[in-house]
Amino acid sequence: MTSLRPLRSLDELTMESKFSVQELVSRSALEELLASLYDLFGIASKVFASDGALIAEAGSGSALQAYLSSLPGGRRLVRETVELVKSSTPKPNESQQLQCPTGERYVVVGLDYDGRLLGRVVVGPFLLIDDRELPEALLRCDPAAALQRLQELWQLLNHCEALLIARVVVHLRTTLGLVLFSGHRALLASNMHLASVQESFRELSEKSATLQVAYERLKDLDRLKSNFLATVSHELRTPLTSIIGYSEMLIAGIAGDINDEQREFMGTIHEKGGQLLELIKGLLDLTKLESGTLSLHKTETPVLPILRDIVHTLLPTARAKGVILSATGDAGIPTLWGDASRLRQVFLNLTENAIKFTPAEGSVTLSAEMTHVELPLEDEDGPAIVMRGVKRPMIEIRVADTGIGISEAERPRVFDAFYQVDSSSTREQGGAGLGLSIVKRLVDAHDGTVHIEQNVPRGTVFVVRIPCRRLSFLG
Amino acid sequence: MQLDFSSRELTIKLVYYGPALSGKTTNLQALHAASTPDATGRLMTLETRDDRTLFFDLLPLTFGSERGLSVRLKVFTVPGQVIHSSTRRLVLQGADGVAFIADSRVAETENNAEAFRDLRENLKQNGINAKQIPLVLQFNKRDLPDVRGEAELAEMAAQGKEPVYLAAAVKGTGVVDTFVALLHQTWQLLDSQHGLVEKFGFDTSAFFADVLVKLNDPRPLSAVLSSRVGKKNPEGSQP
Repeated sequence: MTSLRPLRSLDELTMESKFSVQELVSRSALEELLASLYDLFGIASKVFASDGALIAEAGSGSALQAYLSSLPGGRRLVRETVELVKSSTPKPNESQQLQCPTGERYVVVGLDYDGRLLGRVVVGPFLLIDDRELPEALLRCDPAAALQRLQELWQLLNHCEALLIARVVVHLRTTLGLVLFSGHRALLASNMHLASVQESFRELSEKSATLQVAYERLKDLDRLKSNFLATVSHELRTPLTSIIGYSEMLIAGIAGDINDEQREFMGTIHEKGGQLLELIKGLLDLTKLESGTLSLHKTETPVLPILRDIVHTLLPTARAKGVILSATGDAGIPTLWGDASRLRQVFLNLTENAIKFTPAEGSVTLSAEMTHVELPLEDEDGPAIVMRGVKRPMIEIRVADTGIGISEAERPRVFDAFYQVDSSSTREQGGAGLGLSIVKRLVDAHDGTVHIEQNVPRGTVFVVRIPCRRLSFLG
Repeated sequence: MQLDFSSRELTIKLVYYGPALSGKTTNLQALHAASTPDATGRLMTLETRDDRTLFFDLLPLTFGSERGLSVRLKVFTVPGQVIHSSTRRLVLQGADGVAFIADSRVAETENNAEAFRDLRENLKQNGINAKQIPLVLQFNKRDLPDVRGEAELAEMAAQGKEPVYLAAAVKGTGVVDTFVALLHQTWQLLDSQHGLVEKFGFDTSAFFADVLVKLNDPRPLSAVLSSRVGKKNPEGSQP
């Protein structure tokens, strides 16, 4: 992420202490500080950077200097004063008091941070209380200078106690030190923030790249698995069809008479072959559904005949187990939009399952009714927001049993391929765990939904909803 | 380390590492309190509202140029909480030496080990050889009950190569020892890599004497170094 690198690395920033004053403090804040000092004590001050540039000032030069500047000799005196102040370079943590040729006094304070000189603070001009006499240099600076005028201006200068000046200098040094420290701290904190965010971003990017690689690999594996299943299923089906066909012919006596024991054995071969074929068909359906190549022939389909047919088909199985099997539904129920043979497969599977997991004297009930379901708004393929509130007419088919039930936690997973609620080898019920995953995919292919509810007082209800009409017919 | 030839100035970065609440910041506060004002600046802390270190603490220490080279030390702490791993890694960048502050309490043994693994990992990520970087261990909080026994620590310390010091940072004991031992080890490595004594005519003994004076410790360097526990060489090593 080179584009995100800061100008200076954190390492450089934390190790560095060669700052300029301007980097750590704003000029206007400094001016305010100096101005407040001027308001309190009438003492002017200036802050210079280490390269001599003026950064902030408060209070103007004295009237005495203004007068002197109008005279040639006075100008020389002022110039000497400025040079004296300029040439004063105190060490860090020190200050120098200067008395200039004009008699005015200045204090020059080293502005230091972390043991380095960052600039200078010049406090003044001022006079001490004891400075009563005008210095000789001032009196003789220029023949045109009026003594009375000089004396007036001298009196106008700020006469301060030496102690006050010392205190002001200490205060200024402490305050500026704190301001610089806070500035440095804020600079480090904000850079640390930036660096931390960058570091987190880098870490996440790395993790995300690793995950992406793993995801691509899994996708490849999944594709391989589907291809493998499809190929194997096809290859298995061909010889199996022969096994079933030839065993059928043997049973029918086409190849000559067989005795009862042989017939019984051939019957077992034929029956197990048939079971194997069903399983392989299921696998094929699943791979087709997963790859999206299963074609549905959707028409206006009445649902009750399908349910009655299933009851008719499975009634012997249910009776053998002592389970009561029935189907109910209003005769006037509208048709649904779907593939009759695939829907039959769905409900046959659910009903078979229900019978399988219902003990003797239990019941399995199939029912169908019309319902209206709110359309999910986040569905990208669904209608636009303006369709909000429109309910879609659907047929709800419930397959209710009084069996062992499915716990809340298991419910979302039972639709996964090969998933078994009880996957222990000793489980009572057989099956490859393909049925419900095929059901789910077939219902999905019908734009329908399937979910599991608790039956009261015990058992499970599989609730399947299939749309009555195609979506495009709406509105 | 940063070496400025023109201003004859050496800047060394030392990092105090360790599990949360083991007393890293307290170590720095004690160092700050012990040192003379001309040697140290303000202790900078970047902390959360509940006084836990957010990014780092920074204690600057400066030793003058009378020995041909002025030495500036930047002593950092890292935030100990597990979630701040990336911050620890950032602060560890360019470290010249590391003091690992462990909590002596028996219950903290696993946390210490976890933090030490974290240190190793973050050193590696920063491209620093964990075997070569100067490292000093401190078992802090000796003033609390339920701490691991001194004999046990001494025995284990004797088996490892890193010097181990005992401390109660809240009382200031063992703090200078740990710091000086780390600085001494770091100095020896930097000198062997960069020939500082030779190039600048640096007087190492005088430097460490000055460091101890500025940390208000009256002991000679050898006494400070030999206060470690489980030492193989009871005399300590003279620079």
